[in-house]
Amino acid sequence: MFKYDYLRPASVKEACELLALHGDSAKVIAGGTDLMVQIRDEDKKWANIKYIIDIGHLKEMKYIKEDGDSICIGALSSHTDIVKSKILQKYAPFFCEASSTVGSPQIRNMGTIGGSIGNASPASDPVPPLIALDAEVKVVGTSGERTVLLKSIFANSYKTTLKVDEIITEISFKKMPTEAKSVFLKLGRRKALAISRMNVGVIVVVDSMGFVSDVRIAPGCIFAVPDRVKIAEDVLLGKVPTRELLVEAGKKVSEEMINRTGIRPSTEFKKPAIESLTTRALSQALEVE
Amino acid sequence: MVKKHGRRVDVLAKITGKAQYTNDMSFPHMLYASTVRCPNPHAKIISIEREQAEQYPGVVMVITADNIPGIPSQYKQKPILVPEVVRYEGEGVALVVAKSKVIAAEAAKLVKVIYDELPAVTSAEAALGKNAQKIYDDGNLLCKYKAGKGNVEEGFKKADHIFEKEYRTQRVDHTPLETEAAIAVPTTEGMTVYAPTNDAYKARLLIAETLGLRENQVRFITPAIGGSFGAKNYDAGVIGARSALAAMLTGKPVKMVFTREESMIEGTKRHPYICKYKVGVTKAGRITAMEIDLIGDGGAYLSKSHPVATRTLIEASGPYNIDNVKSKVTLAFTNNTYSDAMRGFGSPQVDFASEVLLDEIACELGFDPLEFKKMNHIKENDISGVGQVMTDVSLGKCVAEAEKASNWKERKAELASERNKGGSKVKGIGFALIHRGEAFGAAGQGIDTAEVQLLVNNDGGITILSSMADVGMGGHTMMVNVIMETLGVKRERVVMAPVDTSYVPNSGPSSATRGTMVIGNAARLAAEEVKDKLAAIAADVLGVLKEELVFKNEQIYSPGKADEHVNYQDMINEIFARGQTPSGRGWYTVSGLDWDRANGFGEAYLSYAYGAAVTEVEVDLETGQVSVDKFIAVHDVGHAFDKSEVIGQINGGVSMAVGMALFEDVDSKIGHIKNTNFDKYLIPTSLDMPEMNSIVVEVPTKTGPFGARGLGEPTACTAAPAIINAIYDATGIRIRELPANLETMMEELKNSRNKTDLN
Repeated sequence: MFKYDYLRPASVKEACELLALHGDSAKVIAGGTDLMVQIRDEDKKWANIKYIIDIGHLKEMKYIKEDGDSICIGALSSHTDIVKSKILQKYAPFFCEASSTVGSPQIRNMGTIGGSIGNASPASDPVPPLIALDAEVKVVGTSGERTVLLKSIFANSYKTTLKVDEIITEISFKKMPTEAKSVFLKLGRRKALAISRMNVGVIVVVDSMGFVSDVRIAPGCIFAVPDRVKIAEDVLLGKVPTRELLVEAGKKVSEEMINRTGIRPSTEFKKPAIESLTTRALSQALEVE
Repeated sequence: MVKKHGRRVDVLAKITGKAQYTNDMSFPHMLYASTVRCPNPHAKIISIEREQAEQYPGVVMVITADNIPGIPSQYKQKPILVPEVVRYEGEGVALVVAKSKVIAAEAAKLVKVIYDELPAVTSAEAALGKNAQKIYDDGNLLCKYKAGKGNVEEGFKKADHIFEKEYRTQRVDHTPLETEAAIAVPTTEGMTVYAPTNDAYKARLLIAETLGLRENQVRFITPAIGGSFGAKNYDAGVIGARSALAAMLTGKPVKMVFTREESMIEGTKRHPYICKYKVGVTKAGRITAMEIDLIGDGGAYLSKSHPVATRTLIEASGPYNIDNVKSKVTLAFTNNTYSDAMRGFGSPQVDFASEVLLDEIACELGFDPLEFKKMNHIKENDISGVGQVMTDVSLGKCVAEAEKASNWKERKAELASERNKGGSKVKGIGFALIHRGEAFGAAGQGIDTAEVQLLVNNDGGITILSSMADVGMGGHTMMVNVIMETLGVKRERVVMAPVDTSYVPNSGPSSATRGTMVIGNAARLAAEEVKDKLAAIAADVLGVLKEELVFKNEQIYSPGKADEHVNYQDMINEIFARGQTPSGRGWYTVSGLDWDRANGFGEAYLSYAYGAAVTEVEVDLETGQVSVDKFIAVHDVGHAFDKSEVIGQINGGVSMAVGMALFEDVDSKIGHIKNTNFDKYLIPTSLDMPEMNSIVVEVPTKTGPFGARGLGEPTACTAAPAIINAIYDATGIRIRELPANLETMMEELKNSRNKTDLN
């Protein structure tokens, strides 16, 4: 059993100071749904942990609000908060859908969006929609705050680019235009309480002439760090969507997967599955049979 | 839902949270013990260094096999602590007893064990191969049996088509909500142990052997049980004996509770099976011969592998009328977790094989699978695959109910035409039919017995004394119902005594679906004795023959003179007034079966349970996902004491089998289990359950109490084959190795596409 001290700072500032003081021997939790499970398992990664800094009670980071043409989400918003948010249901429904598929009700009540990002699991459900939305994150450290693209937060599987004293405090993104359609699809081993084997978030906008004027394709589980797949989006951009193009876009996603991660034993399963998941998500969004 | 007799015996305590499970209990000065586990699947213990652990603050004692006053185990049974050779990874080699659970677990890591690693054999095929590493001095053969009738060579000659197929089933865990747990409390007489188990007397025996005590010096008490499905048989004895050993050596109460990981690593599992079939069939669709070769993985120790092997041997040819059958079963020892009873006791493995097999044959010969099975299944007085004359056969009724409820023909055609329209998701329908011998049967004659006593008080209250464990199946409620129906008394009069081996007689284990048939019969006989005593007096008072008397609604009367009756309570008062006792005792034994063990021929079981199922699945051709949408489960229970209990039992069995069909697989290729908790070992969630339609058939048997048949295990036997057959109907792909998980489905779908492309 790992032994560590449990710290409960009174503010984000104090949390950052504790992180600066204890460095790698400290780790922040919000809901603790990822880290505490790994610590219980005595995951070697955390063998040297000495401090758990719990920020879960800092309610000032628990909000979902409109700010002009943006939506801002406090990092301590739980997955349940996101699922229930009227604002998000209106401006980013696929993000709500993705959040509703995280774990079980208990996990969704405890787990937070900031924690999900900080854990940097390639199999995260809420991250692909945020990547598709080109979301930004606000991070706070002892030397102040900075706002960066969410994408840039991920260094590798389960590794972030956050500095040792930094905490994610807010996620924000531009509201989708009202004519935009978004879809999140997930492939799990069972119908609930399943970690994604694969997932995808897509956004499409079709102009009045029937051409695709904006398209974002953000698959999950297939890259070490989440990303949009530009070569797949280019297949559709500026075109009138057809079944063939959607299939082609799916193929481009699997091509990109192989380019980035190489051929693995799992590729045989993953290649056709991510192709069809992407094509299916696009066809639902574009209402192309 | 029909509510026949009111609520379950244990329901109030459970839903109000008042039921005491072992882990809820504690005693003054209680210590905690943790198990030191071997990290290798096969190794010889060279030395065990205890000092470092002993010096850890809070540690009271470190215990090894050398400290066992009795014996670590019977030959080839799993030892309480390994004395010399570890035969599977995770076995216990030492115990650390400490003042807290955390200290015990931490100090357990400080016990340094030096091993001499031995090569591990981790599949039955490898274990039975030439030059395989020996797990025991006399080799790896656990058991070998044969059975059959007729002459298969002659039968194959009469066939127009010969089919050869092979099926494989996986290692499955029981996953009860409550893991293994025990508390042992030393007493002046010996030892009291609290632990959940299927078989209190058997667990007590194991503890007595470990401690070197007489059986009656050990008092075994079973608190509320959080599920078993077979997981609390030998495993319960092991943890009970470990805690008792620690309690005896320290003189203090000792508690042990396994984590889920410990339970997955050390606990028993379902036997994985390889089932090879050769079948001859005529053009008209008659099966002329069936040759079966079964190979099972018994894991590292014996446990109940012999009766499991026998059952698979007897049931492998399915509920079909086949003139020539030849089957053999070989079980091997391997360096895997030991296999033991698990809901179905071998049946789900061979039911999967034989029911998919017949579906394949039907489809290949152009028959409708349901019609094909209807044509071949056993009817009244037909002869089973091992030569038994089958009676009270209700297969026809079960099939008819399943056919009617599913609207089989029309629905099958409807789904086929839906599929013709194309689309990436396709639906299919599948059927399965089963027979299942009740209780231990011929192979278990002599041990398949039960005693039940009824303590009748002056106020007419009745207390049932029985060691039957209610592992969740409602066995105690069943007994209450048997007493009520036999004596015609109100539900409130009957109380179930706690299971405590110092007070209750041995009713045998809750396994092999023997509860209703064997223990229920013992309860009936006990009630008959009470009835007989009351009837003698009533007949006297009423002036009628006692054989004429009917016991109903608290009254006793002769049907010819219903207006003249006496009350149950008055008769109780009268019997006490005469200085006698109304209390009764029932003893039931399965006997009289004419079974030729050497040749596997004759009367295998006293009675059989029958069932049929139809399921509809949807397969996502692009992702391999299978969704079980609808499930019609038809089971003949002979006599339903309580229909809502019956339906609950069916739904639970189906959910376990959905797990076996689609998800569950203990990942232990090299003797090391990787999926040790529910994040990686996936069982169905409520959302994975199909829409259930459970249909209760009541064709009475001559053997069960009130004609009742057992139900617990048959419910877990139909779903895997029905689902796999439905997947075939939907996609044309045939899964012969369980589970049909995403990867298997995708691979098979790809293979089938490649095949189509070639054509």
